[in-house]
Amino acid sequence: MRVTPIGFVFALALLSWGCTRTPEISFNQQVRPILNERCVDCHGGIRRQGDLSLLFRHEALEAGESGKKAIVPFNVDESELLRRVSHADPAHRMPKDDLPLSEEDIQILHAWIEQGAMWEDHWAYVAPVRPEVPEVSDPDWIREPMDAFVLARLDQMGLVPQSEAECPVLIRRVTLDLTGLPPQPSDVQSVCQGGGSYEAYVDSLLSSPSYGERWASMWLDLARYADSKGYEKDIGRTIWHYRDWVIRALNDDMPFDQFTIEQLAGDLLPDPTENQLIATAFHRNTMTNTEGGTDDEEFRVAAVIDRVNTTWEVWQGTTFACVQCHGHPYDPFVHQEYYEFFAFFNSTTDRDLDNEYPTLAQFEDDVAADGHALIQEIQMIEDAIIARVETDTLTAQRRIWETTLDQPEVIGRVQLMQQNEVKRIVATPEENRGDGQQWMLNYVYASVNDDPILNRLREEKITKERALQALNPIQTPIMQDLPFQRRTHVFERGSFLLKGDPVHPGTPDALPSLSEDAPRNRLGMAQWLVSGENPLTARVVVNRFWEQLFGTGIVESLEDFGTQGLERSHPDLLDYLAVSFQEEHQWKIKSLLRSIVRSSTYRQSSHVTDPLLEMDPHNRFLARGPRFRLTAEQIRDQALHVSGLLSSTMYGPSVMPPQPDGLWKNPYDNRTWQVSDDDDRYRRAIYTYWRRTIPYPSMATFDSPSREFCVSRRIRTNTPLQALVTLNDPVFVEAATALAHRMMESDDPITAGYIYAMGIAPNQNELEVLNSLYLDALSHYSQSTLEANMIAEERGSPHLDAMTVVASAILNLDQFLMKS
Amino acid sequence: MNLIQEAQHAYLNRVTRRHFLKSAGAGLGAIAFSALGADTVRASGATMADGPHFAPKAKRVIFLHMAGGPSPLELFDYKPELARLDGQDCPESLLEGKRFAFIRGIPKMLGPQATFQQYGESGAWMSNHLPHMANVVDQIAFLKAMHTDEFNHAPAQLLVHSGSPRLGRPSMGSWVTYGLGSENENLPAFVVLLSGGAAPDAGASVYGSGFLPTVYQGVQCRTKGDPVLFLSDPDGIPRHLRRRSIDAINAINRQHHEEVGDPEILTRISQYEMAFRMQTSVPEAMDISHEPEYIHQMYGTEPGETAFSNNCLLARRLVERGVRFVQLFHWGWDSHGAGESEALNGGFLKRCQETDQPVTALIQDLDQRGLLEDTLVIWGGEFGRTPMLENRTGSDNPYVGRDHHSDVYTMWMAGGGVQGGITHGQTDEIGYSAVNGRVHVHDLQATILHLLGFDHRRLTYPFQGRDFRLTDVHGHVVHEILS
Repeated sequence: MRVTPIGFVFALALLSWGCTRTPEISFNQQVRPILNERCVDCHGGIRRQGDLSLLFRHEALEAGESGKKAIVPFNVDESELLRRVSHADPAHRMPKDDLPLSEEDIQILHAWIEQGAMWEDHWAYVAPVRPEVPEVSDPDWIREPMDAFVLARLDQMGLVPQSEAECPVLIRRVTLDLTGLPPQPSDVQSVCQGGGSYEAYVDSLLSSPSYGERWASMWLDLARYADSKGYEKDIGRTIWHYRDWVIRALNDDMPFDQFTIEQLAGDLLPDPTENQLIATAFHRNTMTNTEGGTDDEEFRVAAVIDRVNTTWEVWQGTTFACVQCHGHPYDPFVHQEYYEFFAFFNSTTDRDLDNEYPTLAQFEDDVAADGHALIQEIQMIEDAIIARVETDTLTAQRRIWETTLDQPEVIGRVQLMQQNEVKRIVATPEENRGDGQQWMLNYVYASVNDDPILNRLREEKITKERALQALNPIQTPIMQDLPFQRRTHVFERGSFLLKGDPVHPGTPDALPSLSEDAPRNRLGMAQWLVSGENPLTARVVVNRFWEQLFGTGIVESLEDFGTQGLERSHPDLLDYLAVSFQEEHQWKIKSLLRSIVRSSTYRQSSHVTDPLLEMDPHNRFLARGPRFRLTAEQIRDQALHVSGLLSSTMYGPSVMPPQPDGLWKNPYDNRTWQVSDDDDRYRRAIYTYWRRTIPYPSMATFDSPSREFCVSRRIRTNTPLQALVTLNDPVFVEAATALAHRMMESDDPITAGYIYAMGIAPNQNELEVLNSLYLDALSHYSQSTLEANMIAEERGSPHLDAMTVVASAILNLDQFLMKS
Repeated sequence: MNLIQEAQHAYLNRVTRRHFLKSAGAGLGAIAFSALGADTVRASGATMADGPHFAPKAKRVIFLHMAGGPSPLELFDYKPELARLDGQDCPESLLEGKRFAFIRGIPKMLGPQATFQQYGESGAWMSNHLPHMANVVDQIAFLKAMHTDEFNHAPAQLLVHSGSPRLGRPSMGSWVTYGLGSENENLPAFVVLLSGGAAPDAGASVYGSGFLPTVYQGVQCRTKGDPVLFLSDPDGIPRHLRRRSIDAINAINRQHHEEVGDPEILTRISQYEMAFRMQTSVPEAMDISHEPEYIHQMYGTEPGETAFSNNCLLARRLVERGVRFVQLFHWGWDSHGAGESEALNGGFLKRCQETDQPVTALIQDLDQRGLLEDTLVIWGGEFGRTPMLENRTGSDNPYVGRDHHSDVYTMWMAGGGVQGGITHGQTDEIGYSAVNGRVHVHDLQATILHLLGFDHRRLTYPFQGRDFRLTDVHGHVVHEILS
C-alpha cells in the first residue's frame, strides 16, 4: 500500500470540515486521487464505459451514453456522478461491483462540483517557478538555499536535523559520491586534521577524472548501454566509443542541454563532429535481433518504440509506453500522440540489420585518409545502385518481379529476414506506398536483379567493403536520417501490422507545443525537451542526482512524475532545484552537485534513533544524513582501490576481469569469456564487458540491471548471495590478499588496513575483534601443513595468510559496503 | 533399497540435520529468515505480496521448459489425416495472412514422423518416441490447443515466462516467490537448472525478476563447478576459519548497529549467517551421488554430468527441501530439418530419448513420495511446429523438420490440483489450428497461479504508476482441467 503525504494533507482538510463555509477543494490533492483510485479504470484513457472518461474536463462534462451528464459544474443535483456514487441500490451504484465511496470522498466530490468542478493541471505539467526561500527555526543551519526547504519541512514535523557527520565519515561519503572511489587516507588526514577546506576538497573531486567514470554508470543504465546486441545470440557490439563519450562529456561538464541535444540529434546539427555523431549512439543501444527467421521490420519498429519510451522515461519521467496500445490510463496523453512522437524517430536508416548499419567508422591515424576515401567511394556506389534501380527499364522489371514473388525461387533470393516486409510492401499498390516503403523495396530489389550494371556495381562495392574492413576500423552504430520522412501510422493496439491513421511528428497537447520555427525532426524534439518551457526535464534530472546522493528521490518514482507517481517529499525544493539548475547552474551538473554536497542537509550524520526511524524509516524528510549500500560498481572498485590493485587506465574496449567458467552458453554462439591480462583485470567496473543475457555475475548480484532496456532506479537488496561474492569471488579474494600485503608493510597492520578501507582508525573493540581473528587464523596456518594454507601466494607465510583472513573480514564489514 | 528403507534412512539423517541447523541458527535465529525470501525483502524495505488469496492446491512448481518448440505432431497430437497428405502442396487457404519464421512460398505437407498408440485407462495417444511416458498418461492433463502470439524463440520464451514478449517483466518463478516466499531458509526459493548445451534463447531474463527486487530472481544452480556461484570458500580457508571470520564480521557489525541504529545492518548480519548455512545446504541438496541405485536407474542419472536426467532428480530433491519454484530448461528442440542436429529424424529423437525416462521418473518418484499431489509439474515449449515441411534451401535433404508455429501446440501438466488422464482442447485433422479448448499462454499462467492459490488479477506489483501482473490484462483460468 502506497502511503503518501496526500493522506496528511487530506487529514488537514477533514479537520477543517466543521467550518461553516465549505473549504476550497483542491482537484490535485483531493479529487484526482479519488478519480484515479476508484473511477478511471473504467472511465479513463483505456475503457470509456458508458462513453464517459474522467481524464479531461471537456470529456467529463459531455453527456454519456445514457444522455445524462456526469458532471454539471455548480449544479450538484444535475450531476449524474453524484447520484450514482451515492445510490442506495448496489445495482446502480458506482463504482460497479465494488465497495462504495466513503462519505468523505462523496462530500469532496459534492463540494468540488458545487464549486464549479474545475480541473487542475497536474503539477508536473506546469513549468516550475522559483519558490520563495522559506523562513526557518535555525537560520544558522542554512548553508545553501536548499537547506531552508529541508529545514522548513522538519520544522513543520517538529524534527531537528542531525549534527554534522564526523569529518572522516563525511570525506568518505563525498568522495564515494563524487568519484565512486573511497578517499586516500592522506586526503582524510589533510582535510580533517591538516586544516584543508572541505570546499576545496570537493572541487578537487569534481575535477578528478574518476568523476566522469562514476556518474557515467548512472547515465549508462538510462542509455541501456551494453557490449552486446541482446536477444538470442546476443552477439558482441562495438559501441564503447559511446561509453567513453559519456565519461568525457561529464568530465568536461558539458551543460545538460547540450548533452541532451548531442545524444538525441547530434547527427542533425550543422556539420556534426565525429564526437557529436558518436553521441547519437545513445539511441543505438537498442537491441538488434539476429535470431534466424525474425522479421527485421518488426524489430526495427521495436527499436523505435524503445527509443520513444526511453526518451520519455529519461527526460520526462513519464510512462509513455502505456500510450503505445491505447490512451494513457491516468495521464493526459492520447494514443495518437504516442505515434506523433514516434514519428520523430521513425525516419532513421537503421533497420535491425546484423551489421548494425549505419555506423561511424574510425581509423588509426595512418590509414584514416584511405579509410575515408573508401567510405566515400562506397557511398557513391550505393547511390549509383539506387539510381540504376530507379531507371525506367529496371522499374518496369521490378513491377514484373513484384508479381512473381509467390514463387519460391524468386522470393528465395530476398534475404530471409526481409521477405515478410517485402511481401507487405508489394501488397500495397505502388501509388499508396510511403517513400520509406518504396525506398526499402528498391533497396531489396537492387540485391536480387541480375542486371549487368548492377552486378558490376555490387561487385565493386564488395571489393571496397573488404578493403575497408582490412583497415580495421572501429565501427560505432550511430543515428542517421533518411533523406525523407518515413510514413508513420498509429498502430492499432500497438501492433505494427495494424496500421491506423497516418500522423506527423509532434509533441503531446498536455505539454507546451513545439515552437513554430522548430524543425519537425529529432533536433527540434531535443531542443523542445531542454527549452525553458518544458516543465519536466529539469525536475526529472535534478531528481535523479538527488536520488544518487540521498538514496531516494524527492519524487521517489524517478521514472514516473505522472498523476500515479509517488508524491513529492519537498515540492518547493524540487522546483527550486529545477529552476536553479537551469539558471544559476546553467545546466551544469558539477555546479549542481557542488551546491548539494556543500549543504548542511548533505553533511548530516546518518545516525538514527528508534523514534526517528519509526517516523521516517526511509529518510524521506532528511533529519539525518544518507546511509545506504554502495552500487555494484562501487563495491568492486572500492575493494580494488583500497587493496592498491585498481588500474587508473581510462577508456577503450571493454575488458573481461575473471568470472567463473562456463557461464557463456548462448545458442548459436560459441564465444567465450577471455580473461583480460595484467592491468586490464583491475580496471574500474564501468569498463567491464557487459553482455546483456549473461551479466557479469558479481555485479548482477549487487543489483546492476541487464541493460536490455532503460532503468531509472536500481532497487537495492541485501542477500546472502552478496555475502558469497565479497567473501569468495576470486576477485575479492585477490583484493584481500593484496590488501594484506599492504597491511604487512605497516608496524600496526590491522589499524593500517582498517584505515585504508574506512579512512578512519578502528575503535578499541573493533581492533580487538580483528586482532583475535588474526591470532586464531595465525594459529591455524602455523599448525597446518603447507598444502592447506595456499590462500597467499608466498608459500609458508602464516602471517600473510592470517592477515588475508583479516583483510577479507574488513572488506566484508557493513561499514565498508555502505555509504554512511 | 526400496522406498520404505530409503525413507527410514532419510528420517534418521534428517533428525540429525535438523538438530544441526537449529543449533547453528541459534542466537541469530530470530533475525535469520528465509533465504532470498519474504523477510529478507521486508527487512530491506521492499514489498512483498500478502500471501495466497485462497487455499492453494499446489505448493510448489517444477516447470520443464523444452526450449526450441518441440513438435506435438511427433509426440502427443495424433493426426492420421496428415499422414495421408504427406508430400502434397499445402493449400493456399492455410497460408493466407500468416507469417512464418522460415517458410516462404508454398510448402509441402509433412506426415507425422512417428507411430501412435493409446495408453492407460484414459486412452491417451502417445508416440513411439516416448515409451516411458506411456506409463504415466493417467496422471497427466494434456492441453492440446495451446497458442501464443510469438513465432521467434526469444520473444516467445519471454511471453511464456514473463507474460510479455518484450523484456522487463518479472518471470513466473519471481511472481510466485514474491507471492508465497520460501519454505526453506537455507536454499533459494527459485532455482533454475539448465541442460541441452545452451542457455534459454532469451537469456537470464526468462528467470529474471524484472521490476521486482532482485531477491526474487531465479538462482541458477549448476552441476559442474560451484553449484551456486561463489559458494565455495577460497582454497585454504577451512570451514572453522570461515565461521570465525563471519563471527568477527558480525560482531563488529552488531556493535556498529548499536552506534548508528540502521536496521539494514541487522539484515546484513542475518544474510551472512544464511550464506554460511547455504554453503552446506546447497551442495547437500545438489549432490545426487548418495541417491540409492534404484533411483539412478529410474531416472537414468549419472552423478557429475550436466544432463536433463540429473536436473529432474535435482528438481525432486529441491522441492522435497521446500524450494518453491524449480525451473528447468532443456535446449535443442528446434527441429527445422536444416541439419542433423535439428531434424525430426535427428536431434529431435535424441531430445526425446534424453527426456522420456527422467520426466516419467520424476512423476513416479514425486508420486511415490506423496509429493505429486501438491507439486505442479508443467511440461512444454514456447510454441508448436507447422504440419508443413520446412525446406529452407529447397534442395534435397535427408533431414526433415517443421517451422515454428504459434497457433497451436501441446503442453501438459500433472500433480498439484490438476486432473490426471484428461485432454483439454482439440486440433483440426492436420494439427494446424484449434477446433476447441484453446488456451492462450496467459490462460496457462492464470491457471498456474490459481493452483497456487492466487487470483491472477490480484497478484500485482505497482510499477510506473500502475499495478502490473503476470497475465498483463488477459488470462482466464482453465477450470476444465482442475481436479
